[in-house]
Amino acid sequence: VLASVRSATLLGVQGRPVRVEVHVSKGLPGFTVVGLPDPTCREARDRVRAALLSSGLTWPNARVTVNLAPPGLRKVGAGLDLAIAAGLLAASEQVPLGALDGRAFIGELGLDGSLRPVPGALPLIDAMAEPEVVVPDGATVEARLVGRHVIRPAATLAGVVGALTGREPWPDLPPPVVPPPPPRGPDLTDVRGQPAARYALEVAAAGGHHLLLVGPPGAGKTMLARRLPGLLPDLDTDQALEATCIHSAAGQVLPPGGLVRRPPFRAPHHGASAVALVGGGSATMLPGEISLAHHGVLFMDELGEFASAVLDSLRQPLEEGVIRVARAANKAEYPARLLLVAAMNPCPCGEGVAPGACRCTPAARARYARRLSGPLVDRFDLRVEVGRPQVGELLTPGLHGAGESSAAVARRVACARELAAARDVPANAQLPAWRLDEVAPLDGAATRMLERFLRAGRLTGRGLGGVRRVARTIADLAGDDGLLSVEHVSAALALRAEPGFLDGRAA
Amino acid sequence: VISRAPVAPALPPAAYAAALAGLPGMGPARLVAILATCEPAAAWAHVAAGRVWREPAVARTLGARGPRLVAAWRAAAARVDPARLWRGLQDGGIGVAATGAPGYPAPLAGDIEPPAVVFHRGAPAALDRPRVAIVGTRRCSTTGAGVAFELGRDLAAAGVAVVSGLAAGIDGAAHRGALAAAAAPPVGVVATGLDVVYPAGQHELWNAVAAAGMLLSEAPLGTAPERWRFPARNRIVAALADVVVVVESHKRGGSLYTVDEADRRGRDVLVVPGSVRSAASAGTNALLAEGRAPVCSVEDVLVALGLNAAAGGTPVTDRRPPPHGADQPVLDAVGWRPSTLDELVLRTGLGLPALAAALDRLCEAGWIGRNGGWYERITAPAPGVSVP
Repeated sequence: VLASVRSATLLGVQGRPVRVEVHVSKGLPGFTVVGLPDPTCREARDRVRAALLSSGLTWPNARVTVNLAPPGLRKVGAGLDLAIAAGLLAASEQVPLGALDGRAFIGELGLDGSLRPVPGALPLIDAMAEPEVVVPDGATVEARLVGRHVIRPAATLAGVVGALTGREPWPDLPPPVVPPPPPRGPDLTDVRGQPAARYALEVAAAGGHHLLLVGPPGAGKTMLARRLPGLLPDLDTDQALEATCIHSAAGQVLPPGGLVRRPPFRAPHHGASAVALVGGGSATMLPGEISLAHHGVLFMDELGEFASAVLDSLRQPLEEGVIRVARAANKAEYPARLLLVAAMNPCPCGEGVAPGACRCTPAARARYARRLSGPLVDRFDLRVEVGRPQVGELLTPGLHGAGESSAAVARRVACARELAAARDVPANAQLPAWRLDEVAPLDGAATRMLERFLRAGRLTGRGLGGVRRVARTIADLAGDDGLLSVEHVSAALALRAEPGFLDGRAA
Repeated sequence: VISRAPVAPALPPAAYAAALAGLPGMGPARLVAILATCEPAAAWAHVAAGRVWREPAVARTLGARGPRLVAAWRAAAARVDPARLWRGLQDGGIGVAATGAPGYPAPLAGDIEPPAVVFHRGAPAALDRPRVAIVGTRRCSTTGAGVAFELGRDLAAAGVAVVSGLAAGIDGAAHRGALAAAAAPPVGVVATGLDVVYPAGQHELWNAVAAAGMLLSEAPLGTAPERWRFPARNRIVAALADVVVVVESHKRGGSLYTVDEADRRGRDVLVVPGSVRSAASAGTNALLAEGRAPVCSVEDVLVALGLNAAAGGTPVTDRRPPPHGADQPVLDAVGWRPSTLDELVLRTGLGLPALAAALDRLCEAGWIGRNGGWYERITAPAPGVSVP
């Protein structure tokens, strides 16, 4: 007898529909799974068997073949357990075959017959064309986010069987939880002094410009970077769904309410491998840190300590906003439109900020500088040297206007982002080069100033575009909508320090 | 004892001296010892024949490696034709002088550790005048580079040959200053072969110094920068100078070695005082604490040389346009040590756009310089200054 059940598997951050065909026939008792299952998926056989027996159901004493179609697609994880169990029960006539029509099944089985949520429930459910989905209790929040299906939550396999045979009604959907307002993270009021670094943070948030903080240990680079997500506006519905999809696929814990509504903040350790950062892996094709930071902030502390191959793998996604990972068996495309904030020491000894203060040998500095390729540094339109705050600034409260709150800055950022949205881009950093003359026109003096910098070789062609985008953001923050003036351009240039160790490579 | 075999008699002794200097493992000490015992041509024949050196002075410098060196030298000598080497040197415009030979730099002749052979490019007449060595760290502040530049310029204008090591930082700035004055010729003493520019970025400066003055090295052509050659070079700098000026030095550094060498030779060492907060002045300030004389202007150096300061070159006037009225407070806020944008925002109370515009105007006018994310006051500009 043949039963066919609808389910889905994960490829990257997208769900792909899978048809689970279960054939039960006379013959030597056995159980085979075909159709490119990964090891976890192949082990479904043992989980399903134990779950069936624990739930008081019968394991057919027959030859069972499970085919996962399409056979060319690699099936990953335990999400097909429930579908295999349902197919087996239908094929062995323990539930009616007709009960499978119009329904899709997702869930992992425990040996005790319980039903467990799986990573990527959101994209998996989104991939289902059937009007009804049977999902584990824990996945109802994500199923609701998709919003297209009749959701049938279940806690156990026995519960599913009861409902499919009509002996029991489907359990009620739990009422939707009203999520508490998401926490906004640490506040900018904690930052004492450092007005230029604060300003750079504001510009980065408003324009989506990648930011490089260079400074000695203890200057507060990490503290500043952690306050950046708090300046960004909430994600809109589409952005939130995209971000939630990625988090779900990566098996991350979703916030209450299911939807990732605040820009995510990811801070991978500098030991991270290229695969951990950009995504991939041989079979599972998990999204990497840069995709988890989609629509949010990726913070790379100690940028100089990352392997240079890892750093260079960032160049293409930073440019295009997507990362395409190709492996022998699979290809996947993950969104990765993120705001990159990096922090690093100016040199190995960390003291090389003030001219003449460094204790490193020129060779050590050269080695350190080689870690960062010029093209990668060029991606940072904001590069700020952060000095250690002075003692007075640390201890005197409210000195020098310190203590403007994140909320106040976020309001200006939101206004600037609205101006950017009026130009049909999410932020000024995404303005294409050909539109700069139209949306970021320069007045006479500003043109002459940039010309001077270009002639002196202190600015490259790509750098020029970056400076104009940043100057646009600076003008937007100030509420100036007209031509870019010398003030805007020189502020953009002041926030684009050539880090000390790159001297000589600037031209 | 020494071979009498006449080898290509047409070649001058300097050709053999150059060939000897190029042998592997032939350092200054060994070369001095060998040339003290016999003529260069005879020494070359001795080496080429692979004979053992029995003179105690030479044997001592060879040490336990003696037999191996003799074999290595013999093999190397078989591959070198002194005549071709000599032609190459002459074609390259490079002069060679061995100790005691005519053309050997007079200031080095009476030195306690004279180089056995000197290779030079440019005009040796550059040494026939008062000489001041300006030395300092490669990792200098903009202020230090500015001071070195001015001293170099004003000393050259006063007719003093500026001697330095052509390194990055203070050395290079001093030479650029001397070149900017277009007066007395500069002297560059390098640790590599005259055809090996080190650091590589100094190519233009290197050629400019050779064209305007002279370049000097005890290393044969093709010698790569080796660690031990830099202190050895510093000894020649000290030996050539009548007065040594240290502009900036970290707590430890090559310039302090030059100071030691100057002390051994009884040369005056003058020191430029620096900020107590600047790591690049830690070594120089310590020298001051030892009781060395400070340099606050070029006059101090001229007095130490025994020259009449007033007779020196024309005073250089500040041709910079005075800062804008509104920019003066910003210039004052920059002060005299490197400042970050953060500090400047706090000191001036200006918003970043207005501050950045003012800083840019000051940079353009030459009042301040930008070094990475730092802003530094510039004392006086000179045409074509490029701060390292």
